[in-house]
Amino acid sequence: MFVYEKQLQYPVKIKRCNPQLAKIIISQYGGPDGELGASLRYLSQRFSMPVQELKATLTDIGTEELNHLEMIGAIVYQLTKDLSEEEIKKNGFDAYFVDHTTGIYPSSAAGVPFTAAYIQSKGDPITDLHEDMAAEQKARTTYDNILRFCDDYDVKDPIRFLRAREVVHYQRFGENLRILTDKLDSKNFYQFNPSFDKKCFKKRK
Amino acid sequence: MTQREIMLKKIGTYKFAMKDLQLYLDTHPKDEVALNKFEEYRAILKPLVREFEQKYGPLTLKSNDMSNKYLWIKNPWPWDIEEDD
Repeated sequence: MFVYEKQLQYPVKIKRCNPQLAKIIISQYGGPDGELGASLRYLSQRFSMPVQELKATLTDIGTEELNHLEMIGAIVYQLTKDLSEEEIKKNGFDAYFVDHTTGIYPSSAAGVPFTAAYIQSKGDPITDLHEDMAAEQKARTTYDNILRFCDDYDVKDPIRFLRAREVVHYQRFGENLRILTDKLDSKNFYQFNPSFDKKCFKKRK
Repeated sequence: MTQREIMLKKIGTYKFAMKDLQLYLDTHPKDEVALNKFEEYRAILKPLVREFEQKYGPLTLKSNDMSNKYLWIKNPWPWDIEEDD
């Protein structure tokens, strides 16, 4: 169950609009390594996790990703607020504008709409945790790329916060993988699916 | 920053510290130092939220006194830009 808190996880207050930046930052809303995919990935994968630490981590990180989705939405919204027609044309925002005006739509920077094909839920915790660790790194690289184009502190500051969270999540997923493999036979971690082949767990003494 | 934003930022800082500790505790549930920190921040946060909600309206629908008015809908929403005082 989810309860909405009427507050961003980290404040976003952008004074200068910049449709060019909005065009690339929207990728972290609905792009291939964006926050929508991240939250759906973890909140879906958690159902088949066999160990309590893993269920907790996927629930809590998946929930945090929804905070990040909201922050990205707020950044894009504030970057495109009160745009004139001239600014829209000059900055190449017209391709987005014609379909969405200044509404927030989940798509990549190249305009590809969000698709569930960006994520996997394989029902095998070792497979899923490897995907999750890769996903955090891909999102971190995307934020690094976004920061290359940022010259406004008001935008940089929340983007840096989001980048740092990818690093923390990567660490936690790494710990999850270790917690899981510690419960398995060290001779053949990768031989079985721990959610399906229950016999692969070490016998309790 | 407005007075409201300053208060909200303080609340957000404690909430975030608790969130980060929560993720840590998910994989280190027996770490008592972290658990004590979590409880310490929870105790600090509670009166801050109460004070904020009395002044500016609810942050969640479960925690507040709605006896007078339905203040939940009140602007600003989290993505709105507030004008400085």
